[in-house]
Amino acid sequence: MGPLVLVAVAVLAPAIVAGVLRALVRTVVLLALAIAISVVVINVLFFPAGEQVLFRIGPITATAEGLAFALEVVARIVAISGAITLFYLTTTPAELTIDLERRGVPPRLAFVASSSVQTVPTMVDRAVAITAAQRARGLDTEGSIGARLRGIVPIVGPVILGAIGEVEKRTMALEARGFSRPGRRTLLWHPADSPLQRLARWLMVLAIPVFVLARAAGWLG
Amino acid sequence: MTDIRVEGLVHVYEGGVRALDGVDLAIGAGERVALIGQNGSGKTTLVRHFDGLLRPTSGRVLVGGVDAAERTVAQLAREVGLVFQDPDRQIFASTVRGEVEFGPRNLGLRGAALRSAVGEALAATGLEKAADLNPYDLGTSRRKLLALASVLAMGTAVVVLDEPTTGQDMRGMAIVEEIVGTVQAAGRTVIAISHDMRFVAERFERIVVMRQGRVVLDGSPSEVFAADHWETLRSTFVEPPLPAILGARLKLGATPTDRALVSALKSRG
Amino acid sequence: MLTVNGLSYRHAGALRPSLLDVDLVLGDGEVLGVIGANDSGKTTLCLVLAGLAPRIVGGTLSGRLSIDGVDAGSLRMHDLPALVGIGFDDPATQLSGVAATVFEEVAFGPANLGVPRDELIDRTANALEALAISHLAERDPARLSGGQQQLVAIASILALRPRHVVLDEPTAQLDPSGTALVGDALERLAGQGVSILVVEHKTDLLARIASRVVALDGGRVVLEGPAKEVLADPALVDLGVAPPSDVRLRRALVTALLDPTQLEGARA
Repeated sequence: MGPLVLVAVAVLAPAIVAGVLRALVRTVVLLALAIAISVVVINVLFFPAGEQVLFRIGPITATAEGLAFALEVVARIVAISGAITLFYLTTTPAELTIDLERRGVPPRLAFVASSSVQTVPTMVDRAVAITAAQRARGLDTEGSIGARLRGIVPIVGPVILGAIGEVEKRTMALEARGFSRPGRRTLLWHPADSPLQRLARWLMVLAIPVFVLARAAGWLG
Repeated sequence: MTDIRVEGLVHVYEGGVRALDGVDLAIGAGERVALIGQNGSGKTTLVRHFDGLLRPTSGRVLVGGVDAAERTVAQLAREVGLVFQDPDRQIFASTVRGEVEFGPRNLGLRGAALRSAVGEALAATGLEKAADLNPYDLGTSRRKLLALASVLAMGTAVVVLDEPTTGQDMRGMAIVEEIVGTVQAAGRTVIAISHDMRFVAERFERIVVMRQGRVVLDGSPSEVFAADHWETLRSTFVEPPLPAILGARLKLGATPTDRALVSALKSRG
Repeated sequence: MLTVNGLSYRHAGALRPSLLDVDLVLGDGEVLGVIGANDSGKTTLCLVLAGLAPRIVGGTLSGRLSIDGVDAGSLRMHDLPALVGIGFDDPATQLSGVAATVFEEVAFGPANLGVPRDELIDRTANALEALAISHLAERDPARLSGGQQQLVAIASILALRPRHVVLDEPTAQLDPSGTALVGDALERLAGQGVSILVVEHKTDLLARIASRVVALDGGRVVLEGPAKEVLADPALVDLGVAPPSDVRLRRALVTALLDPTQLEGARA
């Protein structure tokens, strides 16, 4: 119950406000589906403390307690992946770098944080271009599963090789633009903030020890 | 024989960009055609329809008489080979030979036929001695030649080249020019996108000029680079080759190449 | 002024040096063209002049490079961008990856150098204007075409206001109009006293904007002199460099035993 309420309040509501609900749901389903399925299967069928039987398949007993437990775990997974996805969908690398730097994080660290977010779209673009080139050389991406699986190396290979090969070039380009100069960079703008958002952030941070204590004290069941 | 016919082709990208605005074109088997026009005029979008990487928003493309929409990319790749501009967005093998083998292997070549196709392609691009090297040990311009070799080895009836001469020095340029000749001599069609007007005027018998998703001129180099077309050419940021400009000013008729200008001057006496 | 004396450089692990005994002077307000076949050492020269070799790429350097009279070896890496700007031929890898808009991308360099905000905005706007890409200011740099990205990369260098600019095939991915734009911008820049070294295959462009040209072969300087002279030198062909169209055309006439001066009247 708890995780689901959390998801509704802290993930779905903001996602609707930010207009990313569809992308969020799609991504979370993709991320969490495999784990969710295995969690459900394993716990429904093999939960040791289960008593209320749902059905039997040979020696395997499916229990209601197992299902309840599984759903609880899945709810937590959804909460976590939902939160991460929401962050990724609503934060641009630029905003992240600037805000981190504004708060005193060294530029290099801030850069690492945000360029790892930027890596994904760049890699996707590369993969799309590479897929086109390989298909033009006869790689079959529309045929049998076997054919498509064989296609992984000619696509993933250049994506990774290319990314690694680019490291030196990118490093040089950054150095040539003064990236390693010690001291603060000039910031062009600050991400929009408001007293309300600041309050919300503080409330969220304070909520953590409150919830932890409440749970430990048994108030949340 | 594989000819390509384009009928009323319109292509609108996601996001609304109308890259092709009704193109009608017929390219016969064995022709040597150059596609020119400013960046964004639709040249790359057009050629990507020839092997099915892009599908028409409306209109149709017929490859070898068959509607491309009825074939998969893998099937069309047997007839239309497309060489992309950036070799680093396709190279994945650990040897040059391995890279060139990829295409023909996908088409089902094995054994002696495969070795022969690969050997010829390596020889044509001057890479035979580099066959066992790692592609990344070659410089960028030789990697471009490698990408070209990997498509040549597929033996497709149509070969499409996207900016084959950018970044090449004279040696690389000579290799590309020779390949255009030998490929066509073998009865195959060559289509090239290029900004190099000398290359285009000297090596291609037909030039198609594009602007904003349409074909605005289509003819031989003499026709296309004639003085009365200069305004159209400049509207798509194409500058006629120097011999054409000088020849027109000297009132020598159409002289798109050095050789044509020299001939015209000689016959003038 | 950039001066190079007896410069030799070998990449880490390479058998032979990429540059051998190079002497070069790049004066203020001058545009120096560098030509040569593809493995003649042109790119390596650019890396050395910008201080990236051996500092970032390793390798061994001998000889002297002095920037405005100061020995480059005594400078720290982050002092160099304000002195020597460098642009490469691959525009995509020059993007910082952390700029949401072209404006921020171009501002990245001077921002790193701690240029005050108002001046930063000024410089960035000027750099965009110099390359006629002000209309792209709010666009996502990752979503531009290769040619547009190259113009952004060059603008990013201009925003640093270096005294010297080194460009390695800046027009490789550009169509003729983009090439002309870059050529114009470089001419204007040289007019303001910036010294520019530009490596190019497009000898027509160099004929237009370069005052002097240097030819490299196997890491050595083999030709040097006024642009018109060097570009008309018959040795270019042996060096693997395509001569400019007018030189080529004139040569065709001479070979056919025709008088090349007939073309002079038409050139106006």
